Amino acid sequence: MSNVILAAPPQTAALDHGDLLAHDAVPASLISMRDIWKTYQMGAEEVHALRGVEFDVHKGEYLAIIGPSGSGKSTLMNLIGCLDTPTRGRYWINGKLVSEMNDDELARIRNQEVGFVFQTFNLLARASALHNVELPLIYAGVGSAERHEKARQSLTAVDLADRMMHRPNELSGGQRQRVAIARALVNHPSILLADEPTGALDSATSHEIMNLFERLHAEGNTIIVVTHEPDIAARAHRIISIRDGHIERDERTK
Amino acid sequence: MRLSAFWEAFRIAAASLRANKLRTGLTLIGVVVGVAAVIAVVTIIKGLDQTVASTFSSQGSTVFTVSKLPQIILSREDFIKANKRRDVTEGDAEAVARLCTACWRTGVAARSASVVKYGDQKSEDVPVRGVTPSMFDIEDIDIDAGRPWTASEDQAAHDVCVVGVDLLENIFGGQAPERAVGREVRIGGRPFEIVGVAERLGTIFGFSRDNFVLIPYPTYRKMYGTKASLFIHIQVETAAELEEAQDQVRAIMRTRRGKTIRDEEEGFALETQDVFLNLYGKATSNIYLVTIGVAAISLVVGGIVVMNIMLVSVTERTKEIGIRKAIGARQKYVLTQFLIEAVMLTAIGGLLGVISGFLLAYIISFLAGFPLLLSLWSAVLGVSVSSIVGIISGLWPAWKAARLDPIEALRAE
Repeated sequence: MSNVILAAPPQTAALDHGDLLAHDAVPASLISMRDIWKTYQMGAEEVHALRGVEFDVHKGEYLAIIGPSGSGKSTLMNLIGCLDTPTRGRYWINGKLVSEMNDDELARIRNQEVGFVFQTFNLLARASALHNVELPLIYAGVGSAERHEKARQSLTAVDLADRMMHRPNELSGGQRQRVAIARALVNHPSILLADEPTGALDSATSHEIMNLFERLHAEGNTIIVVTHEPDIAARAHRIISIRDGHIERDERTK
Repeated sequence: MRLSAFWEAFRIAAASLRANKLRTGLTLIGVVVGVAAVIAVVTIIKGLDQTVASTFSSQGSTVFTVSKLPQIILSREDFIKANKRRDVTEGDAEAVARLCTACWRTGVAARSASVVKYGDQKSEDVPVRGVTPSMFDIEDIDIDAGRPWTASEDQAAHDVCVVGVDLLENIFGGQAPERAVGREVRIGGRPFEIVGVAERLGTIFGFSRDNFVLIPYPTYRKMYGTKASLFIHIQVETAAELEEAQDQVRAIMRTRRGKTIRDEEEGFALETQDVFLNLYGKATSNIYLVTIGVAAISLVVGGIVVMNIMLVSVTERTKEIGIRKAIGARQKYVLTQFLIEAVMLTAIGGLLGVISGFLLAYIISFLAGFPLLLSLWSAVLGVSVSSIVGIISGLWPAWKAARLDPIEALRAE
């Protein structure tokens, strides 16, 4: 865990959204961030990676988060994905207040509510595609027969029914990313969180993966893509731009 | 921890060990050596115990001996002191036989060694003992073929002998005992007639007990003279009389050597078979202690090696741990996964140790000729102890893995 340094944010940040209800009642939206600060201690200096970020995401949205490197984009992604907790502020996902959770509770939320898709796929090299997809179900305690069936369905949904027993090194980049997407979806999470999902792929394959995201969105999944590529962001229906730890723009594009 | 997650941890541990076979093997050496040493020693000593018990109980605790030198001398000082003693003589033996009322049988034996020849076949350094006829009863020597010498042959100092079965192999080319009876051999150049062949006694600690020649004591005296000190063998009827008989013999011998009550040095050695059993017990318990020490050291070293390898394994698989944590593995799960890997590692080591320990014991017992007694509890103990070593040395690396920050871990290559 990072050192938690409580830096006093400007009072106005809280007053601007003097929405007391948001602090006291559980919000109705799928994701709800209120006055989120993340501060790192770098030697003697405090670095504010996020300075009072606030936004809501509703079920079924297709959202892109963009920003240059160092903007706080990655920090925000880690918070959304429940890999980390904010220094200050509140974060609800699906009605659960994750900003106050401990490591094991966060692990549970990651397992149940978040499906990760990473730039470098992050598949287990020694395991088959099927086993990689089964992994979240193993941690969810799903029995083996049901697990097999669900993983099979998930892989079929990304058109990899004929590659189930292949290991990652026997698959192309696009296929690997589809395995990762199948893994992310297998537990029916509240959000699909993709970090530069096409960063390691050629343009044709990128196109194919983005089409898959569109299809998944059409099927009702909530998708958040973190990227620095404008044309990838342009596929989303809403774009949040981050700069210097703030939300610079939050615009609906479709 | 749910069963599915536990089984996954098991699978991953096995796969990881399989993927690094050479490393796994090298890591295990310490544990294998430690466990193998204990298993081999425990097994060998159990086999020895059996041999010793059956060998010594056949003579029982009704026999004791009087001699100049004790059968076991543990220090140079004792040796020098014992050598200054007067020889045990025929006079001593007669006195004991006459005066000891608690004694049942008394026999005399004198020892030497000679070359035994038959035709152009010969056997060097064969122990030759001149014994009185009562020794056949005292030492419970059974005759397999032929007969013991008669009382008249004894009195007349005839050149007759009873031989052990080793001699049949060494100079008669392995002929049946019956065929050796009646033949003439040369003992120290003097012709002797074989009148009997003793029954096979077998081996102890790998040494044969069947390489000997027995001749009548009068014949022995004629051949070798009366210079050497004798051995008086005394048997009591029941073990209950042993102490009384020993007291009487001690008193007789002390008197004959002019020792008073105040003299600490008795001037002779009076011993039972217990001397061997005591020494044996002391020796084996020392061997046990040394083995436990060796095993403890190699298990500690083995444990440190396992810990080191587990730390390497955690570092190598930081990324994997990050992935697992990102998709929902809790700390307890990661901890268990690495603990299982460490325990599996050392349990395999323990198992290999048990197998190689038994193999080693088998080879040694086969070569030395004593029974092999495999005991289940030593195998169970070997595997359990090594598993505990696994838990102890795996704990810290596993805890480190469990505490990894998923963000940092995912960033690792």
